[in-house]
Amino acid sequence: MSTQTLHLNIDRADGSLQRLIGLVERRGFHIDGMTLRDEGHGRRVELAVRGRDDGRCPHTLGRQIDKLFGVTRITPPAAAFHPEVAA
Amino acid sequence: MTGSAARIPEPAAAPRSGARLLVSTLERLGVEVVFGYPGGAIMPVYDALAGSALRHILVRHEQAAAFAADAYARRSGKVGVCLATSGPGATNLITGIANAMMDSVPIVCITGNVAQGVMGTDAFQEIDILGVTLPIVKHSILVRDPADIPAAVEEAFHIAASGRPGPVLIDLPKDVQVGQTTEDFGFPYPNTVATIDHDAIAAAAQAIRAARRPLIYVGGGVKIGRATEQVRAFADATGIPSVATLNALGTIPTDAPGFQGMLGMHGTRAANEAVQETDLLIVFGARFDDRATGKLAEFAPHARVIHFDIDASEIGKLRETWIPVAGELAPGVEALTAHLAGRTLTIDPWMIHCAVRVQRTAFRYDDAPGEGVFAPALLKAVSEAAGDSFVAACDVGQHQMWAAQHCRFSKPEAHITSGGLGAMGFGLPAGIGAKLADPDATVVVIAGDGGFMMNVQELATLRRYGVAVKILLLDNSSLGLVRQWQELFFAGNYSEIDLSDNPDFVRVAEAFGIEAFRISRREEVQAGIARLLAADGPCLAHVIIDPRENVWPLVPPGKNNAEMMEGA
Repeated sequence: MSTQTLHLNIDRADGSLQRLIGLVERRGFHIDGMTLRDEGHGRRVELAVRGRDDGRCPHTLGRQIDKLFGVTRITPPAAAFHPEVAA
Repeated sequence: MTGSAARIPEPAAAPRSGARLLVSTLERLGVEVVFGYPGGAIMPVYDALAGSALRHILVRHEQAAAFAADAYARRSGKVGVCLATSGPGATNLITGIANAMMDSVPIVCITGNVAQGVMGTDAFQEIDILGVTLPIVKHSILVRDPADIPAAVEEAFHIAASGRPGPVLIDLPKDVQVGQTTEDFGFPYPNTVATIDHDAIAAAAQAIRAARRPLIYVGGGVKIGRATEQVRAFADATGIPSVATLNALGTIPTDAPGFQGMLGMHGTRAANEAVQETDLLIVFGARFDDRATGKLAEFAPHARVIHFDIDASEIGKLRETWIPVAGELAPGVEALTAHLAGRTLTIDPWMIHCAVRVQRTAFRYDDAPGEGVFAPALLKAVSEAAGDSFVAACDVGQHQMWAAQHCRFSKPEAHITSGGLGAMGFGLPAGIGAKLADPDATVVVIAGDGGFMMNVQELATLRRYGVAVKILLLDNSSLGLVRQWQELFFAGNYSEIDLSDNPDFVRVAEAFGIEAFRISRREEVQAGIARLLAADGPCLAHVIIDPRENVWPLVPPGKNNAEMMEGA
């Protein structure tokens, strides 16, 4: 399964980053890369993720991320992921 | 923090502690009952509780506080609240939090923690409970300033109850509880206006008109979304047959025309065969749980799926959806019914086929095996004797499945069960929570001897508060469901399922000051039910059942729902 990159904003509340990473791994995705940078009020995160098997749907993962509080996908929910070639 | 509601200033208040601010915020939110257990890191909150309007129910184990808050929420429609101290108090809540998460129940769990200055130093009773519970909460908040307490609590209540409900944890370090603040403001969250996808609903209506074998698949989301009335109206108006998940039992009344029963592993033959035959599955608030679907690849093999759910991430998660309808269920189903008004569906042969099968495959009680108490008949009789006030608070095991199969449920709130997590020990504390939420209900705890022992200490809570819960303890001196699987799938190699050294449960109950008696023979059942239901206060009926009795039918693991095993 190809790696895809999620572009996200997360707040500074306790546990926000842990909550995001935990969700991605728990829902059956490897995290192949991650960048995080400070953006004043919040933090910008890029996560390169890859499903553990073909049964893992990136679109469903995107919707599950949308349910987290304090995490916002920069891409609109309907757009889901930007497929990108693995590094 | 989420939400964009404007802060509403209130008159300046005198300085007070974070703990008192917490209590006053809970009061302002209309909280009446709090389940909990004190300890070192939550003592300022317990100090503030004295003299408050909150009724605190002192349980005997924090797990019971979370379970009771869960059932209180399910029965009352309000947010359930539980309190615990740091460390072991907080970790003891975990099973209850996970239970609320799996069954989408709105509870707010408030834990004390060590002061922020010593957080991260392995201080006494320090646990990173926020980190520990991240996978099993809808959200969690570590409050670092007493001034943030009102906003955090109101946000927690809003998140717990809105959308797809779930548990929210608030962790309060001790310095935040004792810190002084003049902050005291409202943080109202506006009610969201439900949006309806009219195009999707029109497409769903068109698909239903074209279907010849449509079937309604009702999930627990209907009850949670307060859409019971709308789903019943849809079923009545269209005549489309229906099946329900464990957590949806009662949404369509058990004896309603067209209702096929529970689907899945211990579902009825009528329900499971209807699912395998349908050409259009109309799903309301269900998540295709594996206990409901059996072998997913062979579930409803001839059907296309219309899926209504408030949680868009559930749509298409496990089963391809033809027409997704994400959003509030009640207005969505109402709009669907309106679309179909005046239209005659051409499903008469299908309706007749399903109705005939329901009659042909109905459970029978006149040929019960053996001489002893036949648990399915007993449970059916209890639910019928209690009538519309019946509320079952079930534990987990064979008795739970028998209750689901054989009890009569006239409303979904009448069936409180640990569906997703399957947590043994749920029944007794759940009964306490349900009875406190609805004192007029006839709350019957249905438990087995295994699960009952997991929270047996809550008999003390029953006694202390005089909670008039009726306990039906079905004792087969074993872990019955595990024993059944070992018999069927592990060549009868019975491993660690024997509980024949159980205590004398009548004497145990009496030691706690609870009236108790025993039912050992079939002819004692009717009088025993009458005595149990007529008791003024809490009462326990210890029912001896045959340890060899199994739950039938059964879909073996890895099989599709049509491959049901029937008992001898």
